[in-house]
Amino acid sequence: MLRTIILIFRNEFRRLVRDRAALFMLFLAPVVIIAVAGFSLGNLYGARPNARVYLVPIVDLDHGTIATAITDGLAHEHSIEIVRATDLEEARRVVFRSERAPLAIVIPAGTTKAFESGRIASVLVCADPIKRVEATAIELRLNRLSRRIAAAARDRAQADLFHKMAELRSQLDSLEAQARKIQLRLADFRRDFIRESSAIQARSERRIKRQIRREIGALEAQTQAAVERSLAMTQAKLAGDLAAKRDAIAAVERYLHQLQSSEQAFDRWLERLKAAAGSHAAEIPAPPQWPAPPSREQLAELAKPLELSIAKPVMPRAGTLGDVTVPILRLKLPAPARLSFDVRDLKDARAPVLPGDIGWREKALTPGSGEVNTFDQYVPGFGITFLLIDMLWGLSIALIDERDWGTLERLRVNGAPVPGMLIGKLTARFLIGLIQMVVLFAFGWMLFGISLGQSAPMLLLPAAAISFAAAAFGLVVACVARTRDSVLPIGSVAAMAMSAIGGCWWPLDFEPAWMRSLAQWMPTTWTMQAFNDLMIRGLSASSAIWPAAVTFALGLAFAVAGILGSSQFYE
Amino acid sequence: MVEAVALAKSYGPRRVLDDVTFSVNEGEVAGLLGPNGAGKTTTLSILATLRAPDCGSVRIAGFDSRVNPGAIRRKLGFVPQAIALYPSLTPFENLDLFARIQGLGGRQARDACRQALEDVGLAERANDAVSVLSGGMQRRLNLACAMVHHPTVLLLDEPTVGVDPQSREKILQTIRGLAATGVAAVYSTHYMEEVERLCDRVLLIDQGRLVASGTVAELIALAGQHHRMDITFQRTPPPSWCEGIAEVSKPTVAAAGNRVTLHFASLAQVSELLERARLAGGHVLEFSVHSANLSDAFMALTGHALRDPDAGPLSVAS
Repeated sequence: MLRTIILIFRNEFRRLVRDRAALFMLFLAPVVIIAVAGFSLGNLYGARPNARVYLVPIVDLDHGTIATAITDGLAHEHSIEIVRATDLEEARRVVFRSERAPLAIVIPAGTTKAFESGRIASVLVCADPIKRVEATAIELRLNRLSRRIAAAARDRAQADLFHKMAELRSQLDSLEAQARKIQLRLADFRRDFIRESSAIQARSERRIKRQIRREIGALEAQTQAAVERSLAMTQAKLAGDLAAKRDAIAAVERYLHQLQSSEQAFDRWLERLKAAAGSHAAEIPAPPQWPAPPSREQLAELAKPLELSIAKPVMPRAGTLGDVTVPILRLKLPAPARLSFDVRDLKDARAPVLPGDIGWREKALTPGSGEVNTFDQYVPGFGITFLLIDMLWGLSIALIDERDWGTLERLRVNGAPVPGMLIGKLTARFLIGLIQMVVLFAFGWMLFGISLGQSAPMLLLPAAAISFAAAAFGLVVACVARTRDSVLPIGSVAAMAMSAIGGCWWPLDFEPAWMRSLAQWMPTTWTMQAFNDLMIRGLSASSAIWPAAVTFALGLAFAVAGILGSSQFYE
Repeated sequence: MVEAVALAKSYGPRRVLDDVTFSVNEGEVAGLLGPNGAGKTTTLSILATLRAPDCGSVRIAGFDSRVNPGAIRRKLGFVPQAIALYPSLTPFENLDLFARIQGLGGRQARDACRQALEDVGLAERANDAVSVLSGGMQRRLNLACAMVHHPTVLLLDEPTVGVDPQSREKILQTIRGLAATGVAAVYSTHYMEEVERLCDRVLLIDQGRLVASGTVAELIALAGQHHRMDITFQRTPPPSWCEGIAEVSKPTVAAAGNRVTLHFASLAQVSELLERARLAGGHVLEFSVHSANLSDAFMALTGHALRDPDAGPLSVAS
């Protein structure tokens, strides 16, 4: 039993050592895949991007200090090379043309002004969606730089603020000292004022009293003279009035005598009238009554002598006193204390403004919303991977099977040249691969809504190119692997490595620079570029021509190598 | 029809063919007989223009293989040792492919395919996938594919390996029938009895050299008229147990130690030999007697067996 165990154990190792395919799958294949995946995804886990120098086009529409600070700051980054662009269109061309350029930066006009006035200055970052990781790396640097610029500006503003506050504090101290001085001066002034005003008041009172006394004397004299003048005038007037009155009374006495005579005459006339009227005497109306004459007593009053009255004298006007001018003594006030600085300086001084912040907002360089459907990456990517693997079955293994079956030999004996057979197989597998890609894209479109770009038929170009290259790859594997058992280990590792490095499983910008350089020699890289341009970037159909041509050229190189190698091997 | 002159071929330092010269005439079936690794397949590959000889020349149907291999291929039908068929295709589709590769077109190809299927007895299975046919049927189809375009020279590399007797019989009949129509055939095998039945001439080849050629009878004659007896003892008698018997060779002892081989002149001596063995203390478990055949001739010419000694008798039918 033990012997059996030992023998079987030893035999297993002996078989393993002689089985190169098994050894390859055991050790080399995992190492290759681990290395590819590890190096490719290293950036995701913070590995240094291998000192890759990124190209960053900058459109400076600001021409201010912030634009300069951003440009200089990025220029000092070891991994960034600045390219100045006049407008966004030029920047877009740089990004699309250079695989080192993941994004463009646009510094809008007024950025510096906004920043200096304390607002958020927004910088526009136009990222290429298929260089997401690299764009993020640059954005992180930009973010760090923005914080650094803002922090530096804030430090400067803070220092300036401190300086101004110190200046202000000094001025306030000076003001305070001067205010105290003024208060003392005011106290002195008040005291002087009170003393001076008291003296002035006393002097003024004395002067006024003297003046009043003088004025009263003058007024008394004037009043005396006026009374005397009035008396004289009254006497004269009375004499005149009295003579006239006497004349009037005499006239009235005469009138009254005449009126009494007339009344008697009237009564006699009336008697005669009544007599003449006879029976009609009663119809004669009574004559109007004569007014009764003033009584004698009244008339006697008139005859009484007039009493004398004195005319009111014209007294001097009291207002004359107002015209008297009383000299007022002026106060002698002390001069105000002079301030050592102009207070207007304080008023005019601008309030310090802390700088704002530098933010950035992202915009896709491509048309549309800029959101990427992940299946736009994975449908073509894994489509290519399975295309390559299917070529291993359909071409590499099939070719080796045919050699092992003897059908190739039989075909050769029947007159079929090996290159002809290989080209026939290559052509058939190319067409099958193209159909496979079309079907996969159709499923991708129906199930996952992948983008078919501006022109769906144009997707056929890179699909055809990679189908040809994959078929040629199968041919190369067939002549390298040489046995059925070796095809899958060698071929699948090569297919997976080509897929991974070529950007089929993740965006190419995940990978370090050396791997991307290596990727330039793989048809998968160029095909994915074409698919990305058409489906993710939404570029025009012509953008796929060059990458498809390179894919086809690499496929042609594979095909030539495969046909030459296989011809030697299978003949 | 087939002329091979001074063929030599080496794979690296190993010489697999050395100065091989023979010819095969129209309507003749030549058996290329030799043990594994003797150079049979290499010889056929050179004849089929699949490999070029290091030196020497091949002319088939008047064409030199170096000068005009294409013309030779149009005259050749080649049956490789492997079953060189597409398993997922039907017999008809396989035949159609090889017929069309040979230049037959349209109806001519279809008729040729049907005829070939008839000839090998597979007409009823014409539309089944090759993968579901038995091994013998596949061997027959393998032959049919080589003759679908009516070649003038047929090269067959062990075409009956692992087939049932019925299929073998059909294959041999078919080859014989083709030879009767004037086809020259080179039949490579290590089955002695097939050569004895089928071939007009035998080419004995060993270690890359053609050791003899001639009819079966001529070659057997080269081995002499002695019979051979193999005896397996349970207990081996002393080496001198058969000394003194006339025209009996000294027995050779096999590596196992309990099996001996000796040659003798007359079948009448068999009983005497067995009696002497018994008297000498040998306990006979098994014995067999062989008359002279191609294997003996090969042994006589090369000093070693056509097949490995442990592989058992060449054929129970001999």
